[in-house]
Amino acid sequence: MVSSYRVGIDIGGAFTDLVAYDSATKDLRWVKVESTPLELSEGVVDCINRSNVTQSEVEQIIHGQTVVINTIIERKGVNVGLITTSGHRDVLEIQRANRRDMYNFKYRKPESIVPRHLRLEIDERTMADGTILKELNGVQVEEASRTLVEKGVDAICVSFMNSYVNPLNERKAGDILRNSVDVPVVLSHEVTREWREYERFSTATLNAYVLPILENYLNRLQNSVTDDPRKCMAMTSDGGMVSFDFARKYPIYTVESGPVAGVMGAISVAEAIGEKDIIALDGGSTTTKASLIEGLNPEVTTEYYVERDRFRPGYPIMVPVVRTVEIGNGGTSIAWIDEVGRIRVGPRAAGAYPGPVCYGKGGDKPTLTDAYVVTGMLNPEYLLAGELPIHKDLATKAIEGIASELGTGLMEAAEGIIKLANENAAYAIDLVSVQRGYDPRDFTLIAYGGSGPMFAPFISEELEIGKIVVPAIPPGVFSAWGMLNTDVRHSSIQTNITRLDAPNILKILNKSYGDLEEEVAKMFQSEGNQKTTVMERYADIRYYGQEHTVKVTIPSGKLTEKDVKTILEAFHDTHEREYEFRLPDDAVEIVNFHVVGLQRVQKLELTEIVNDSTPGEPQDRTVYINGGYEAIPVYERPELPAGFDLNGPAILEDPTATIIVLHEQKASVDRFGNVVIWSVRK
Amino acid sequence: MTIKHETSPFTLEIIKNGLIVASEEMFYAWGRTAKSPVIYEVLDYAVGIIDASGEKLVTQAPGIPGFTGVLDFAAKEVVDMWGEDVQPGDVFVSNVPYDSGTHLNDVTLIMPIHHGEKRIGFAVAKGHWSEVGGMHFGSWTSDSTEIYQEGIQYPCIKLYEEGKPNRSIIEIIKYNSRMPDFVLGDMYAQVASMRVAERRMKRLVDKYGLETILTSMDKLLEDGENYAKLKMKEIPKGTFTAEDWIDDDGITDDPIPVKVEVKITDEEFLVDFTGSGKQAAGSINSAYPSTVSGVRETYMAMIDPYTHPNGGFFAPLNIIVPKGTVFNPQRPAPTSTFWEGMSHAADIVWKALAPHAPEKLSAGHFLSIEATILGGIDDRTMTPFAIVEPQPGGWGAGIDMDGESALVACGDGETYIASSEVYERRTPIIVERYALNTEDETGHGRYRGGFGAVRNYRLLCSEASFTVTAGRSKYPPWGVEGGMKGTPNYAVIYHQGEEPKRVMKIAAHKVRKGDMVSLVTGGGGGWGDPLKRDPDLVVNDVLNEYITAEVARNTYGVEIDPDTMTLNLIKTRKLRNSKSS
Repeated sequence: MVSSYRVGIDIGGAFTDLVAYDSATKDLRWVKVESTPLELSEGVVDCINRSNVTQSEVEQIIHGQTVVINTIIERKGVNVGLITTSGHRDVLEIQRANRRDMYNFKYRKPESIVPRHLRLEIDERTMADGTILKELNGVQVEEASRTLVEKGVDAICVSFMNSYVNPLNERKAGDILRNSVDVPVVLSHEVTREWREYERFSTATLNAYVLPILENYLNRLQNSVTDDPRKCMAMTSDGGMVSFDFARKYPIYTVESGPVAGVMGAISVAEAIGEKDIIALDGGSTTTKASLIEGLNPEVTTEYYVERDRFRPGYPIMVPVVRTVEIGNGGTSIAWIDEVGRIRVGPRAAGAYPGPVCYGKGGDKPTLTDAYVVTGMLNPEYLLAGELPIHKDLATKAIEGIASELGTGLMEAAEGIIKLANENAAYAIDLVSVQRGYDPRDFTLIAYGGSGPMFAPFISEELEIGKIVVPAIPPGVFSAWGMLNTDVRHSSIQTNITRLDAPNILKILNKSYGDLEEEVAKMFQSEGNQKTTVMERYADIRYYGQEHTVKVTIPSGKLTEKDVKTILEAFHDTHEREYEFRLPDDAVEIVNFHVVGLQRVQKLELTEIVNDSTPGEPQDRTVYINGGYEAIPVYERPELPAGFDLNGPAILEDPTATIIVLHEQKASVDRFGNVVIWSVRK
Repeated sequence: MTIKHETSPFTLEIIKNGLIVASEEMFYAWGRTAKSPVIYEVLDYAVGIIDASGEKLVTQAPGIPGFTGVLDFAAKEVVDMWGEDVQPGDVFVSNVPYDSGTHLNDVTLIMPIHHGEKRIGFAVAKGHWSEVGGMHFGSWTSDSTEIYQEGIQYPCIKLYEEGKPNRSIIEIIKYNSRMPDFVLGDMYAQVASMRVAERRMKRLVDKYGLETILTSMDKLLEDGENYAKLKMKEIPKGTFTAEDWIDDDGITDDPIPVKVEVKITDEEFLVDFTGSGKQAAGSINSAYPSTVSGVRETYMAMIDPYTHPNGGFFAPLNIIVPKGTVFNPQRPAPTSTFWEGMSHAADIVWKALAPHAPEKLSAGHFLSIEATILGGIDDRTMTPFAIVEPQPGGWGAGIDMDGESALVACGDGETYIASSEVYERRTPIIVERYALNTEDETGHGRYRGGFGAVRNYRLLCSEASFTVTAGRSKYPPWGVEGGMKGTPNYAVIYHQGEEPKRVMKIAAHKVRKGDMVSLVTGGGGGWGDPLKRDPDLVVNDVLNEYITAEVARNTYGVEIDPDTMTLNLIKTRKLRNSKSS
C-alpha cells in the first residue's frame, strides 16, 4: 500500500497544524508546530517530517493558509498598475464615499491599493446591455503598459466598465498585454463577473496585489513536499478546495481559507451524528466566530470585506466566502475598568504572548482565562496535560485589582467577568441567527476552538439552545481536520438581470445555467480531473426595484414552466423568512446566476471509541458558581466511555479544552467520543 | 412592594449592554423588514429607548448622524400632550417639525413600554416615509414656501390605542400618500421593530427585576454624563465665535447670515445662535430639533466619536436658538430641505472650534448634500425610473493630514453612493465620467483639502426631469490658519447645441436625449500656509496629477524638474523666499 495518506495542513499566526489520515488503515495522526513567519513553508515541511508520513505515502495535500490575508493587512503586496475605462480612473479612490466612522471629522478612507499615477485610462466603452459603444484602442493599451512597466509595476490589472456583461474589450487588452509584458496580467472579469465597478475593481486589483507572493509561496511549498503537483490542493474561502495551479492564478479565492476549514469540520461532525441545522461556534484566544448552517450547507456569500469593522469600511472582495461573524471576545480577552469606573471585557486581548496572567509569561492584565482559574472552573494547577503550569496566585492578584477598584469580593469579580464575556459571545450567535430571521433554538451548537467548549454551555442557557456538541477532535487541530472533509469545488457567478416573467425566460435560464455549468466543468478539466462532478445551481433573486437579494436553490436539468413556479415560491418563502414580508403580486428578477461544481472526496469518518474502560471516580473541586462555593466533580474526558451520562454541574477536562456542564444541564458521551450537552430546564 | 438592594456592577453592565443591544436589534429589525430603499438602503432612520419621563435618551442607534438626538423630543411631546392618558399598547405618530420633528417625511412613532401598570420607558422609531403628500411627488421639494405644501401633518396622535390600530388614522395615512403600499408597509415594520425593543426590555425585567432595570437605566445616564464631563476636561475652555453665510433659500437670491458663540466651561458646552438670520422663505429652514441634531454631531466629534451616546452624555450641551430664525423657524415656515440649514448648524460650531481643537476637527468641508433627482419614464421600455442621491465631495484638511476626497457630507454617514454600473443597467443613462474634481482644485494649504467629485450623466431616453439643490456654491468651505478656502459645489447642464449652463438650485428642469448633466462638488478647506507644505508632498501631488506643475509653482512655490519629475530644491527655496517676502 502506497500513497494512502490525505494530509490537511493549516497555517495560523502562532501554529502550523497537520492532520494525516489513511482511509485504508484508519490511521489518524496530528502534529502541531510553531509557525515560521519568515519562511512559512519551512514550518510546513517540519510538520510533515514530524508526522512520519513519507513523500511516497502522500496521496493528497490540502492546504489552508493566511499568506493572502496577511499580505493585504500588512500592505506587503506588489506594485500593481491599473488600466481602466476613460472617465473612471478614480473608482478605487472614490470607493462608495460612505462614512462608516460617522462622527470622526478627520476620517480617512482605506487607501487605494493602486496609487493614482499607476491608474491609467484608455479609450474603450461597453454599454450595460453588452454592446460595444467604443472599440478598444489597442495603441493606448500598449502605451499604458509601457508606462506602467517603466514605473516598475510587478503586476497589471485591467478593469473596464461593464466587463461583467461583455468581457470582449478586457480580453483584447489582455491579449495585447500578455504578448508584450512579463508581469502577471489580471482581467477583472476573470476574477468576478458580478456588477458594481468598485467592488469588482477592488477584487481584481487585490488579486493582482497578492498574486506573485502566493505564487512564490506555493511553488516553494510544492517543491519541498512532493514531485507531483496534482497532489497539491489549496483550501478556498467557500469551503472547497482547488488545485495549486488555480490558486496561483486566483489567490484571492483563498483569502479566508483558515477559519472556513473549522466550519467544514463542524459540518462533518454534524453529518456524522445526524444533525442538519447547526451553529458553528469557534472560540479562539482573541476572538469568537460564528456561522449558521442550514441543512449542512454553509451559506456562501460574495459580500465579503477584509478589515471591516464597526468604524472601518474595509476593502470589498467579491469572491465566494462562507458567511461568518467575528467579535472581539476570546479566552485571553482583557478585563478592565473604563474611565467612568465601569467593568468591561475585551475587545483587547492578551493573545498568545504575553498571554493570561496565570501563564506566568509576563502578562499582567487580568483576562477571562484568569477569571476561570480563580473560580476553579479551569484547572488551577496546569493545562495542556501538565505542559502549561498555571499560577493561580498571580491570577488571583490580577483579579483582586479589578475587585478592589469595583469594591466587590474577589470571587464576585471573577464570576462577573465570566458572565460579561459569555454575554459578548452570545451576541456573536445573535448576529448570525436572530438578526437574520432565524431562531437559535432550532439549531444545535457545535463548539470548538480553545474557548468554544467553555463558552457554549453558558451561551446555550442564555439563548435557550437545547443541544450542544463538543467534538472529539481536539480543538487545536480541528481546522486541519476539517480540511480533510472538503470537496473539490469550483463556482461561477454571473450577473445578468432577468425578470422571471420575461417571455423567453426558459430559454435564458437554460442557456445561462448551461453555459455556467460548461464553464465550471472546464475548470475541473483544466486541473486534469476526470471524476464525476455534481453541479449545484443557485440564483440571487429580488423583487423588482429592490436592491437586496436572497439566494435560492434552483432545480437541475432542463428547466420547465413548472420549475419557474417552484423558483418563485422558494424565493417568496426565503424572502419572507429573511425580511418578514412577501409581495406576491410584484415582479421578481434574478440578479446573479450561480453554479457550484463539486467533486466529493471520501469523507474522513469519525472513529468509534472502544467502550471497555470504566472511568475513575471523579475528583471534586471547589468552584465558585452562581454566587456561592460548590464541590463539583471533575472528570478526565479521555477516560469517559461511549454512552457515559452525567448530570450537571460537572467539569470535563482534556489536554486542550475544558467543558463546564451547568446546573440544569446533562451531558453524555456519544459513540465517537463527542460530548453532547442537553438543557433539562423546564 | 419591591425591596431595594444593591445591584452588582457586573449585573449593571450586562443590563446596560442589554439595553444597547435592544436598540440595535430594533434598528436592525426595521431595516430588515421595511419595504422602501430609503430605509433599508439609505438608512435614513434612527431608533432608541427613552426613559419613563420621556425626557432622557437611554440608548440610540442612528443610521445617519443627521438623526443624532431627535428622538427624545418626540417622547417628551407625548408626555406633555397626553399626560395620564398614555396606556400600554398605545402608539403615537408625530411629524410636525417645529416642536419635535425635522421635515414632514420624517415620521416618528412612539410606544410606551410598561411592566404591569408601571411605565418603564418609551421605544421611539423615526424614519423617512417615501411619500406623505404635498405639492410634488416624494413630498420634499426646494420650491415650497409653506409647510402646507410639503405634505400631511401628524400632530402626535394615537395610531394604536391599547394595542388596537386606529383604523381612521390609518385610512388618513393611506389617502394622503402617493405610495400608500410602501408607506403602510414601512409603518407596520416600524411598529414591529418597537415591539422587538419592548420584548427585550421585558425579558430584562423578568430576569433581573424592575428595580434593577430602572437603576441600570439611571446608571447608564449617569455614566454618560460623567464620561462627557471627564472628556470635557480635555477640550479647550473659553468663548469661541464664528460667522458665515448660507448661499440663499432657493426662493430669493439673498444670502442668510449664520452666527454662533460657543462657551465651554468644565460643566457646560453652551451654543448660542443669537444673531443668525431670520427664517427663510424657502425650505432650507432647520427646525429646532434638527438644529439640536446638527450641533450634537459636532459635539460628538469633539467629545468622543466612538461612544454610545445617551441623554446623560448630551447633558452638558445647552443650545440657545431665538425663535423665528433659520435655526428655529415657526409655523408656517417650510422645512422640507432642512438638511441644508441643519448642516450649517453643525458646520458653524465646527468652524468656531476647529482652530482650537485641531486633533479632532478638520477645516470646512463641502457641506451640501447636493441632493439630486433625475427621473422620468424611459420611453424605450415605458418603465419609470428615478435617481435620487446625495453627491460626495471634498473634506477639509487637518493640522496633520490632507482632507479626504469624495466623501458624503456630515449629515450623511453610512450612506453608499450607487454604482455607475447599477445605474446604467437600471436607468436610461450612461455615466460618462465619475472622477475626482481636480480641475477646480481644492483648498490649498500646508495640508490641502480633499477633492470633490464630478459625475456626468448622459440621457439615453427621450426626456427626463432634473432637480438639484447645491449649497456652498457662493460661499465655499473655510480654511484654517492661512489654509485657502475650498471650491464651490454646482451642476452644469449640457443641452445639445447650446452653451453649457451652470446652476446651483433648479427644480424639475427638462433634459432630452443626448443632453448631459454634470454634478460637481468642491474641495475642502486647507490648513496652514501652502508655502509651508512639505515639497515632497507637492511633488507627489503633481506626480499623481492631483495638481498641475503650475499650481505647484504659483501656489506652493515648488519647482519640479519636468524630465525627472523630481524636486528642484534650489529653485524651490528661491521661489518660496521671494513669495513669502
